[in-house]
Amino acid sequence: MKLKRPSFIVKKNAHLNYVLFGVALCLVPLLIELGLLRNSYLTLVGSVIIYSVAAIGLNLLLGWSGLISLGTAGFMGLAAYISAYATVNLKLPFEIAVLLALSIPLAVGILVGLVSLKIEGLYLAIATLSVSEILRKSFEEFGDITNGFSGKTASYPKLLGFFQLDKYGTYILLVVVLVGVMILIHNMINGQMGRALNAMRGSEAAAQAMGVHLLKYRLVAFALATSLAALSGILYIHFIKYTYPPTWTLGMSLNILSAIIIGGVRNIYGTILGVFVVFAVPDLFLKQIPYFGAMPGFAYIVNGILIIVVIMYYPYGLIYLGNDMKKLWGKVKAKVKP
Amino acid sequence: MSTFVQLVLRSLETGSIYSLAALGIIIIYRTSNITHFAQGAMGMFNTFVVTFLFTTAGMPLWLAIIGGMVSALITGFTVDFVIIRHTKKVSPVAKQIITLGLIMIFVGVTPFLFGVDPLNLPQLIPTGSLPVAGASISFNGILNIGFGLSVMAVLFYVLQRTKWGLAIRTTASNEFTARLMGVPTKTVTMVAWAVAAVLGVLAGVMTAPFTSVTLNLMDGVQLNALIACVLGGFQTFYGPVLGAYIIGIAKNLLVYYVSSVWGEQLLYLGILIFIVFRPYGLIGKKIVKKV
Repeated sequence: MKLKRPSFIVKKNAHLNYVLFGVALCLVPLLIELGLLRNSYLTLVGSVIIYSVAAIGLNLLLGWSGLISLGTAGFMGLAAYISAYATVNLKLPFEIAVLLALSIPLAVGILVGLVSLKIEGLYLAIATLSVSEILRKSFEEFGDITNGFSGKTASYPKLLGFFQLDKYGTYILLVVVLVGVMILIHNMINGQMGRALNAMRGSEAAAQAMGVHLLKYRLVAFALATSLAALSGILYIHFIKYTYPPTWTLGMSLNILSAIIIGGVRNIYGTILGVFVVFAVPDLFLKQIPYFGAMPGFAYIVNGILIIVVIMYYPYGLIYLGNDMKKLWGKVKAKVKP
Repeated sequence: MSTFVQLVLRSLETGSIYSLAALGIIIIYRTSNITHFAQGAMGMFNTFVVTFLFTTAGMPLWLAIIGGMVSALITGFTVDFVIIRHTKKVSPVAKQIITLGLIMIFVGVTPFLFGVDPLNLPQLIPTGSLPVAGASISFNGILNIGFGLSVMAVLFYVLQRTKWGLAIRTTASNEFTARLMGVPTKTVTMVAWAVAAVLGVLAGVMTAPFTSVTLNLMDGVQLNALIACVLGGFQTFYGPVLGAYIIGIAKNLLVYYVSSVWGEQLLYLGILIFIVFRPYGLIGKKIVKKV
């Protein structure tokens, strides 16, 4: 299968593109200050950025390695609670809290990665699902750390012990992290690791015969995916500042999974587009539609239908829509001219 | 001792619920090669139909249940006819995600049709119980166990002894060859989806009296049914049923004797460790992949 590359991504300047994308995102607070955008849009775009980080990590598993994980929400929640507990209760500096919140989910992720060598596709999906269920139950039961159903609060991060960020500052931090993650993943998938993962997805036996170390690459993929999910959880708790157990259910994992499928499997911009469609479009547009907008669960129905339609008729995702439109337009033009 | 008997009897009832749902999942898996994550969601939707017929339309419960089964047949047919039939070329991973999309659609449609308030569904036999060795089991419990077992007996008879069962088993074994041999695989798949949906609503109706009918009604059943399939192995029809009863019993025993809070999680952990050592389940065989 040959993958088309969307035309607006220039391969040579991919890194510059990511940075420009980040700069464009940084304009949101400015536009809000100028009164061109509503205040609530900052939280909305911020959440899109947060979920994008987790989704890019999951895409590494789902898209590039072909492994299904339904445990994203569990890992996000785990990191969020650890970070909140470390900064609020233990009064640790933000950086150490981040390290803690990254390393514990990472350890769990590596364990799951080890298990994943033994079990195949659908068993793995169910195994990760039960890991996530165990974690969610722990959030409810360890009241001392998680505060149970009343929820846990945290504050905006304080960098290096003296640099207290405000709302806009945290937002900028989110953008910086997202751009960093995009560049990191871009480099990985275009390097040796990407080729190894592609080979493994095609045929494990063939890849192994060609000298690809299955254990190593699967573990790296799992470790990266869980640490990105954890990173996303950390950003969540310090930007939204509140979390409670029902946030981290299967529904969240499903939303992130559907974002990848809708936006574009194996495509970084596609993932972000998908997250935007799944998490922001309901708030931005669907609620404006008369009658249906007020209906409970309407966004869910739209997402479900989108997933199925995209899988059936548009397997590479919506990110290629612009590209295909252009091609179609070119064809129409060519027909009209002579 | 009587507590133990009581627990086992109670577990047999939950086991029946899980095994009905698990049987639905395995039938879909074998005929369409899809892990049916939406089994619970479809069961939940049709249980809402039963509750609607019972409370709002005022039908007697048995008639409402039959109505729910008809609606389950229709949903099963529709899902196959509109979606699954057209996904022959889709990769297996993407197929699983289609059922995740189905969950979203059913969970979204249900509050639209039936409102957001939790509803109640009574037991088919509201009162009365039978003493067994110092313990007691309600008549409704006996009905659930007996009904579950007889549904399974009928299904296994159909699978093993009839022409239709043969068609299903050939499709399960190799769909392409089955089609070459003149098996109407499209109809087989459609019937499989309908049967799975009916099994789903039966499990839903049995679960409903223990709690209220809400969107999360079947979440636990779905999870346990999937884990039952993993435990029993996806290669046989009876493996998951066995797995479901084991899970039902083990769960109640762990919850009662070990920890009321962590019993269920301990079970999941145990099964996780189990599949590391036996990746193809209790009965499953290793499939040798040819390169």
